[in-house]
Amino acid sequence: MTKGKLLLLFIGAGLLTYPLLPLSSDYVLHVMTLAMVYMILAMGLNIVPGFCGLLDLGYVGFYGIGAYTAGLLTIHYGLPFWVIVPLAALNGALWGVLLGAPTLRLTGDYFAIVTFGFSELVVLFLTNEIWLTRGPLGLPGIQPITLNLSWLNKAWYFEFYEKTPNFYIAALMVALVYFIMCRMEDSRLGRAWYAIREDPLAAASCGVNILNYKVIAFAISAGIGAVGGCFYARWSMFLSPDMFKFWESFLVLCMVVLGGLGNIKGALLGAVILVCLGEILRESLTAIGLPAETRFIAYGLIMVLIMRFKPSGFFPAVASSGRSNPLLIDLQKRLAAGAAAKEKSRDSAA
Amino acid sequence: MLEQQLINGLTLGLIYALIAVGYTMVYGVIQLINFAHGEIYMLGAFFCVTFITAVGLPFYVAICMAMICCSLCGILLDIIAYRPLRKAPRLAALITAIGMSIFLQNLALIIWGSRSKPFPQMAVPGYLKEKALVMGDISLTWLQLFIFAVAISMMFGLFLIINKTRIGTAMRALSQNKTAAALMGINVNFVISFTFALGSAMGAVAGILVSVYYNTLYPTMGYTAGVKAFAAAVLGGIGSVPGAMVGGIVLGVAEALGAGYVSSLYRDGVAYAVMIAVIIFRPSGILGRSVIDKA
Amino acid sequence: MTPLLKIDGVSKRFGGLMALADISFDVHEKEILGLIGPNGAGKTTIFNCIAGVYKPTSGDIVFTPGDTSIRINGFKPEKMTELGIARTFQNIRLFTSLTVLDNIRIARHCRTKANFLRSVLRTPFQKSEEKSIVEDSMRWLEFVGLASQALSDASSLSYGNQRRLEIARALATEPKLLLLDEPAAGMNPKETRILVDLIHAILDAGICVMLIEHDMKLVMSICERLVVLDHGTLIAEGGPRDIRENPRVIEAYLGRGAAGNA
Repeated sequence: MTKGKLLLLFIGAGLLTYPLLPLSSDYVLHVMTLAMVYMILAMGLNIVPGFCGLLDLGYVGFYGIGAYTAGLLTIHYGLPFWVIVPLAALNGALWGVLLGAPTLRLTGDYFAIVTFGFSELVVLFLTNEIWLTRGPLGLPGIQPITLNLSWLNKAWYFEFYEKTPNFYIAALMVALVYFIMCRMEDSRLGRAWYAIREDPLAAASCGVNILNYKVIAFAISAGIGAVGGCFYARWSMFLSPDMFKFWESFLVLCMVVLGGLGNIKGALLGAVILVCLGEILRESLTAIGLPAETRFIAYGLIMVLIMRFKPSGFFPAVASSGRSNPLLIDLQKRLAAGAAAKEKSRDSAA
Repeated sequence: MLEQQLINGLTLGLIYALIAVGYTMVYGVIQLINFAHGEIYMLGAFFCVTFITAVGLPFYVAICMAMICCSLCGILLDIIAYRPLRKAPRLAALITAIGMSIFLQNLALIIWGSRSKPFPQMAVPGYLKEKALVMGDISLTWLQLFIFAVAISMMFGLFLIINKTRIGTAMRALSQNKTAAALMGINVNFVISFTFALGSAMGAVAGILVSVYYNTLYPTMGYTAGVKAFAAAVLGGIGSVPGAMVGGIVLGVAEALGAGYVSSLYRDGVAYAVMIAVIIFRPSGILGRSVIDKA
Repeated sequence: MTPLLKIDGVSKRFGGLMALADISFDVHEKEILGLIGPNGAGKTTIFNCIAGVYKPTSGDIVFTPGDTSIRINGFKPEKMTELGIARTFQNIRLFTSLTVLDNIRIARHCRTKANFLRSVLRTPFQKSEEKSIVEDSMRWLEFVGLASQALSDASSLSYGNQRRLEIARALATEPKLLLLDEPAAGMNPKETRILVDLIHAILDAGICVMLIEHDMKLVMSICERLVVLDHGTLIAEGGPRDIRENPRVIEAYLGRGAAGNA
């Protein structure tokens, strides 16, 4: 194991034990959990611009759909979190297919603007359909995440009002999404997406059905966004349409861009950096008398500068997870052995 | 009632059309959705008000000054943000455009504050506020007539520039084939800058007219207006200047009718819905070329 | 015997321009067919019609990969690939930021089927499929002589190797018919010689080759049969010797006067 990996492991373990420390503050825990929500979103969004090369400006629409799906199912039917997560993911993916199938055959610019329009429509719907969503008043009183193990032991029924269990659930979800991402990237699916991003015509002549694979990417991305929203709903226990405005899409996109388009680990780091930066800016801007929204000027600037000077982001996808695939490691060994054998035979011939 | 809605819709539509031509022209020459165009529109209104209140310029002079300033902003925007990315992937330019849009919007927020301001009524010539025509329930103000006149004459001017001048020919050549145009001795970057300047000037006028019409201006005004104007450009067929005019008017009327007869809550929703429907069912728009991704 | 590919009266119109006018010819099994003609004759257009990029305005393209004939005009490129028509491009179109191996692995796409769930769960099926993808890809890389560079970036290859990688990518889709669009363009004589050997090896592997090429020496030496296009029409068809002496071909290439002198 290399030094860098060891360090990463150490930091990771340190962060994970943080909530158990006696001095842990609720605020820090809250920010860390929020960062993890954005990690899920950034990884999900990354599929579309990062893997397929299409700009998605309406990611928050799916986040909102997931959140309200979770909120409403919890309030009206009292379904447990673990049932709601797949339902919300399916609902998100369904909308992804409905929106993507007719629009993904167009050039990327049109797709970008359609996604934007869609997310605005979602916000309008959430604001105006008061019978369903209570509109601008928001949706309060969503039950927190519960874990019902009473079938094992009568006392094992947990309601997670505390910050700490939510922190660990978020960590679990991030790990799960990360796992799915890495496996997708290094598979037939991921390679098809990369082919589309690199050269659509060449991808088609390799037998990749471009439209299908774009729709699949968009649907999976939407599903993951909905999962993020689902956790957010049960964690914050309150939803309002304001939480799902365009700004959120922009913020998540900025995270992906900062981390390097198509880089899964980069998306994680981008989320951490921008959530922290957001907290710092919020405090410092209000301190100097500016409205907190002006922090977006920094995000805008980050995006412009990165595209200009470091288009692959600060953490370019050098070591894509594919390289750690045993098949490739094996192949590398074989190639090295072959080269060595050749060298030998040349030497002996000489 | 219907007639009144039509008049209001037409007023709005002409303003959308003024913004939409900016999108369409830029798209025509560099195939980029200039998301920051909505911010240029917003800046137009703020420049104009600043010239009136801080410098004390008369209304019409302030409009011209705001147009000039916005043209410069448009050119700067292109030189600073987009020009370095001409050869980069489309995605990079699009992300830059959206980044610039957010940047400019928040810059305005810092400079002018987040609260909406009224347009300085003192500066607006008095006759503009009077009713020009009243017929039963329907009324038409001089301001509306002024908007009609300005918008239509600017469109006509633009038409002349594009079709009758050397630079207009160069713009059209560029939208056909950039390399060939450069080989013919056209200064590509100059033509692109000119296009940005022209589009931005028209956007500025639209911003000023809107802020006078609704008597309000605020830093985020470019956001919805920009998207709606883009919708208008798509509706008319992106890349087509007459299309943008037609699209703007159709969208404005649809929005006014939608707000009047369907639900005023979904006023903005009408524009988005129309846009999505057009993109799905007729992506080339009313007057545009096909945009199906060939690859 | 039915020909592998039958082009029957194909026309393609772009607006007012007639790019192809009533073209008919056959491609037989086990042959190398050369498609020649001056610039702008419509060679790449006919390739694009066969490869599914363009839909012919009229006429039929009939492909007979096995026992059944299929009318394929207007099929999408990916469908053509699936049926067994692979192609390379006039200006190389590789996935440049991916590795050499990944370029080929993508080409295995249409012959494999692991989906989202299988990929995430890494089922035994998916694992063995991934393994065979790597093995098949390496086989094709060995075939074109690029196996030792499998893990380098595609963009780091020399020009000639990039051409060969593109051919390997097309071959990895397991085609019956391979369309090569100017494969020797920009190659030095040594690279061209290697290419000739490669094309013969492809033919020996039971894959029919159709190529567009400007290098007349190359075309005349490897093609058994040639089709000559000029201004979107077919002006000659036959063996290299007949074509070389055909007055219409000479006229098309050298102008009217030259034909008279010849």
